[in-house]
Amino acid sequence: MTTPLLEIRQLYKSYQKAQGIFGRKTIQALSDISFSLYPGQTLAIVGETGSGKSTLAKLLVGIEKPDSGEILLEGQAVTISDYKKYNHVIRYIFQDPARSLNPHQKVGQMLDDVLRYSTQLNEEQRQDKIHQTLQQLGLMEEHADYYPHMFSGGQLQRVALARALIMDPKLLILDEALTALDPSLRAQIVNLLLELQKSTGLSYLLITNHLRLVRHISDHMLVLHQGKALDYGQTNEVFSNPQHDYSRKLIKSAQS
Amino acid sequence: MILLDIKNMTIELETPEGLIRAVDRINLTIREGEIRGLVGESGSGKSLIAKAIVGVLNKRWHITADRFSWAGQDLLRLSYEEQRKIIGRDIAMIYQEPSRSMDPTAPILEQLIESIPDSELESSWWGRPFERRKKAIALLHKVGIRDHQAIFNSYPYQLPEGVCQKIMIAMAIAKKPKLLIADEPTTALESTTQAQLFRLLASFNQLKGMSILLISHELETVARNTQTLSVLYCGQLVEAGETATILKSPLHPYTDALIKSVPEFQPELISKQPLYALHGSIPTLQHLPIGCRLGPRCPNARKECVKTPVLERLQNHYFSCHFPLQGKKL
Repeated sequence: MTTPLLEIRQLYKSYQKAQGIFGRKTIQALSDISFSLYPGQTLAIVGETGSGKSTLAKLLVGIEKPDSGEILLEGQAVTISDYKKYNHVIRYIFQDPARSLNPHQKVGQMLDDVLRYSTQLNEEQRQDKIHQTLQQLGLMEEHADYYPHMFSGGQLQRVALARALIMDPKLLILDEALTALDPSLRAQIVNLLLELQKSTGLSYLLITNHLRLVRHISDHMLVLHQGKALDYGQTNEVFSNPQHDYSRKLIKSAQS
Repeated sequence: MILLDIKNMTIELETPEGLIRAVDRINLTIREGEIRGLVGESGSGKSLIAKAIVGVLNKRWHITADRFSWAGQDLLRLSYEEQRKIIGRDIAMIYQEPSRSMDPTAPILEQLIESIPDSELESSWWGRPFERRKKAIALLHKVGIRDHQAIFNSYPYQLPEGVCQKIMIAMAIAKKPKLLIADEPTTALESTTQAQLFRLLASFNQLKGMSILLISHELETVARNTQTLSVLYCGQLVEAGETATILKSPLHPYTDALIKSVPEFQPELISKQPLYALHGSIPTLQHLPIGCRLGPRCPNARKECVKTPVLERLQNHYFSCHFPLQGKKL
């Protein structure tokens, strides 16, 4: 088989929390997480709040450093100094597009900034790239002159996607990015994501607790509970035959 | 008995460019002991309707209705103060984000005590503080919080969202309302807590005969927990009727699209297949299309659709479309 796009080996992460004046309390946010993600596939990570989903995502994009363990990108270990290069490959989409976009900045400027910091394109190429990306996501060129508040919820999510896709990444991390959308728009975005995956071989890491969607769009899934990985495998298998009590409860609550 | 009966309610917003019609002639009836779902996407005016019923919209909103009656009493003929009295007595509402709609500066006990009306108390004035406290504890037990001591002195920000939502419900049922309006009660919650919450609401409905208006944008959760359903699009009522009938044979193309866009209702759909989706997005209030507001996005729109369709009736199933999906017009 081909080398996985992303491979995580025995990842540990803990946080120190002050307790009293001198005391410290260690919170184990993640322990012994391993998984791999192949190009063109989708991995869903499900779990409740506090299960370490977002910590995992933060580790992957390099906002936080792991305590121990390896993150391999296309077979090569990632070190901290690589993170700058690395953000071309992995892009992150936040939970709430309305709050993760700068309200003072026009969408065009925002996309332009991304290109200016991370590529060597000249102004004309940047404009072309912006228009091309907007069109790819079903937006219009005029939208580049809009401020974020002028968009509706679904369009904002497209803008957020545009900001991620403008770098032609290989992996998109969707942190609850589909949950807040309205059903008909969610269907549109899901279609868009599936289409992009088909045409460009993009991989997704889907962090969510919306299990019905997981079942539809992901190839593999990983159930996290209190920082530990419970079930990991093909989505269908996990759904039909969960191994742990917690996963069983979670899957049942989605079906009742 | 019909509790709430609204006919042709229109809600308009005053703007510098003139009046904008956010909700366009909505009919809504709620019977005693009924759980009605109100489904619509953001901007469809479902929260507006809820707020209009409770009367908490500010003066920039103009509400007009042909009929707006509560338990047989025409509210439109009463003065504002009298309306408030009746609504305050009989209707309670739980809001979208519980931890943000509670008072952040007061501990839970104080807020709970405040929400118990005097009419619920029996003892004379010196016994009231004790009675209130007792009632507050009982309320918490009712919504499934057993350890009341731990919660009483906490502030909303210290508690998880699910607990806050339960406290909101406790506050809402303190006055024993006849109608509970739940505005997106589960958006902030985990899926396991969501199931708990719906069981709680269903038990109140069955034990106390409390009617519930369940507002949500998730068709699947609403479908599972309601008997009747109203579907809104952009401030227009597109379809109303019994939940099971609507799910089985939707007449309006929008309802049809909503049902098809949920993978759960499409068991034969292979995973990773594209979902059915209407093209385009929800128009903003400033640029509403004339006539049927679904018009520009509708797969079978025709010339006639520039005229607003009237609400038609097929047995107990209401729809407003010139070209319903099943069968021709009667």
